Amino acid sequence: MHFSDLGMIAQLLALLFALYALAASLLGARYTKPALLASGRRSVLMVAAFLLVAAFALAVSFLTRDFGVGYVAEHSNRAMPWQYTLSAFYGGQEGSLLYWTLMLSLFASIAVLAHRRAPAGLMPFVIAALMGIESFFLLVLNVVSSPFGRLRIAPSDGAGLNPILQDPGMLVHPPMLLMGYMSFSVPFAFAAAAMITGRLDAGWLRAIRRWMLASWSIQTTGLLLGMWWAYHVLGWGGYWGWDPVENAALLPWLTATAFLHSTMVQERRGSLKVWNLGLVLATFALSIFGTFEVRSGIISSVHSFSYSAIGPYFLGFLAVVVAFSIGLFVYRLPRLRTEHELDTVVSREGSFLVNNFLLTGIAFAVFWGTVFPILSETVRGQTMTVGASFYQQVTGPLFLALLFVMGVGPLLAWRRASWASVWRNIRWPALAAALCAAILPLAGVTNLWANLGFAVCTLVAGTILYELWRGVRVRHAHGEGYPRALVMLVARHRQRYGGYLVHLGLVALAVGVIGSQSFQTERDFTLHTGQTASVAGYTLTYRGISGVEENGIQTITTRFTVGRDGRPAGDILPGERIFPGFESQPTSIVSITTYGAQDFYVFLSGYEGTDQASVKVFINPLVPLIWLGGLLMLAGGIVCWWPERRRAARLVEAARGVPVEVAV
Amino acid sequence: MLLDSVARPEAAPRAPRRRRKIPLSFVLAGLAVAGAVLYLVLANTGASAEYYLTIRELRACTTCSARSVRVAGTVAPNTIVKDAAAHTIRFTVSDGAQTMPVVYGGTVPDIFQPGIQVVVEGKLGGNGVFQAQNLLAKCPSKFQSATPGAAGAASQ
Repeated sequence: MHFSDLGMIAQLLALLFALYALAASLLGARYTKPALLASGRRSVLMVAAFLLVAAFALAVSFLTRDFGVGYVAEHSNRAMPWQYTLSAFYGGQEGSLLYWTLMLSLFASIAVLAHRRAPAGLMPFVIAALMGIESFFLLVLNVVSSPFGRLRIAPSDGAGLNPILQDPGMLVHPPMLLMGYMSFSVPFAFAAAAMITGRLDAGWLRAIRRWMLASWSIQTTGLLLGMWWAYHVLGWGGYWGWDPVENAALLPWLTATAFLHSTMVQERRGSLKVWNLGLVLATFALSIFGTFEVRSGIISSVHSFSYSAIGPYFLGFLAVVVAFSIGLFVYRLPRLRTEHELDTVVSREGSFLVNNFLLTGIAFAVFWGTVFPILSETVRGQTMTVGASFYQQVTGPLFLALLFVMGVGPLLAWRRASWASVWRNIRWPALAAALCAAILPLAGVTNLWANLGFAVCTLVAGTILYELWRGVRVRHAHGEGYPRALVMLVARHRQRYGGYLVHLGLVALAVGVIGSQSFQTERDFTLHTGQTASVAGYTLTYRGISGVEENGIQTITTRFTVGRDGRPAGDILPGERIFPGFESQPTSIVSITTYGAQDFYVFLSGYEGTDQASVKVFINPLVPLIWLGGLLMLAGGIVCWWPERRRAARLVEAARGVPVEVAV
Repeated sequence: MLLDSVARPEAAPRAPRRRRKIPLSFVLAGLAVAGAVLYLVLANTGASAEYYLTIRELRACTTCSARSVRVAGTVAPNTIVKDAAAHTIRFTVSDGAQTMPVVYGGTVPDIFQPGIQVVVEGKLGGNGVFQAQNLLAKCPSKFQSATPGAAGAASQ
């Protein structure tokens, strides 16, 4: 018996247990049978256990080079090192589905274990919803798209993973992004359970928010890793192409961001309930839409999975999800009455509402552009597409407005902000922004939009840093040293200061994006040995070319000496790698050196013999800020998510017999 | 926090029920954002939308020489010529029925090789050579159960 047979059995058993868990939870809730509910909960853990076995079986099949398994033969070969062989697990359609279902089962298990003491009425329906989703994916996995199918004749060597994927980015980006997509199921399950039971109160909200925060953080990481990977590997000097697959990952992120903000209003004032529920449902629907779009090939994109007959299944599932969501939503609309009406838009609630408008607007624009080929084909009979410039022109101003609201919003008081208090908080940052806007043109920044963007970023960064300063100063006045005050400030008010950290990260990212989009320099050079070219203060001298072969992989490296402002700044080694079996498709080794806040990006576009080489040089200003901003955003997300130590206090109260609201 | 779950029972319908009044500032803010979004989307769709054509459709199109279009096809074997001095690359795309020469000066994706599906964006020059501004290449997949063939790619 092969490991793949074990895998096939395991994933089938997982499907059966998932269906059982779904039925047991629904029936146990309907007929109030605690034993059935407990059985359903245990089944969820069994699903996870079986999928771990299945995943193990596939991993072992890869590592033992079992080319009798069709999937292994398709995506790996003997020459691949073990880490890329393992990454081929999720490199194709079938394996990525197995990964998806495995992650969902693990998250469902965590939900079951973490919410043991949650309101008893809610959890059975959460489990039912999660297992419903899981059953669909497992059904597709078992019936249509199994990675364990065996070939009648096992080839002696496999085809191998496409060389462009044999890169460290492959080890982190797909698993993170797939996990992000999947993790939006959990908030959705809670929302579905809340709608079914009618319990749309504050307790539900708190549970969902922490799950959504985790999902958001994972998706943010996945998106940033994708950007980093594209930048380092693809050689076109950019990090985001507004490709349909990229957009598909961005859409649920936008609505999740809106949700995370908007729930603060519901928590504080009991308003925006309709918005919040709508945003959770939309986020999940968009993540399923993204999964469908990526795998069906219905919108052509540079990312391509091998298209199988899987598209219609996902489209059907998407239709069911949307119909189910809208149906329940309309049915429960009467229970979503706002408790306190919002008085004016010039208030904290108002800024969150405008935030919702803007993020939803951006999501709509991105969605429109992504499905435009399908729309135009249906309506006009002629397929038309929009390119990156559409997205930049449309979302640019909206993101700018969003940044501005992000800066001003936290300064507004709840219910109604007084202009005096706003001015008091904003005058120094506003001054800094005005100075920035005045100085930049003198420094050579004449692009109006870039100038405006930088000014707004200065404003936002200023307000955040000013708030941090004020908080630290208060704590310092009570006797804490400045560093400790900062740490304690963040630790005591995780939501607020974690949020500030995320915003600061977003500002850094925005500065990086504005800088690199507006001020990128691109030049082509063909140089002979010893010849020097110069661009934007840098000089480049071609020194020579060499090639080595290792494990069948040929690596060709050119050497250039770089000079910066007249002084030598080291050598760079752009080149290419040729993998066995892919001789006509060399993989570029892009050379990126960061000088200060600028990237000196060199891509080898060709060479003639040993004497001549052609390169494409990009000077990308401020790109390092993008990665820094991303890290800050992730750090902020983790800070926000980190559980409060108040749990200890709650347990003490529970022991004393004080009724404690169970919230996670 | 503790009180929240206790002190807010399901809102009993008040009688008489007054209609919920949405403050004017919200209406204005909402309209402003919605208006901005719609304007931006529609204006830019009109400006940036490009036809996505097969080679035959492109040749038959009378208005296309003035605007940028996208054409899908497969790179024909033995037609790739690199011009290092001009930093351009010349090749021929085919969609199974017709072929078209292309010249492109940007970054060539690593996966670019004979037989892959590409989408070129640009204009058809007077001399019949397509001047490409953008080149998108798709990874070739082997062992596909439903491969979009060379003709299928053009009709996508």
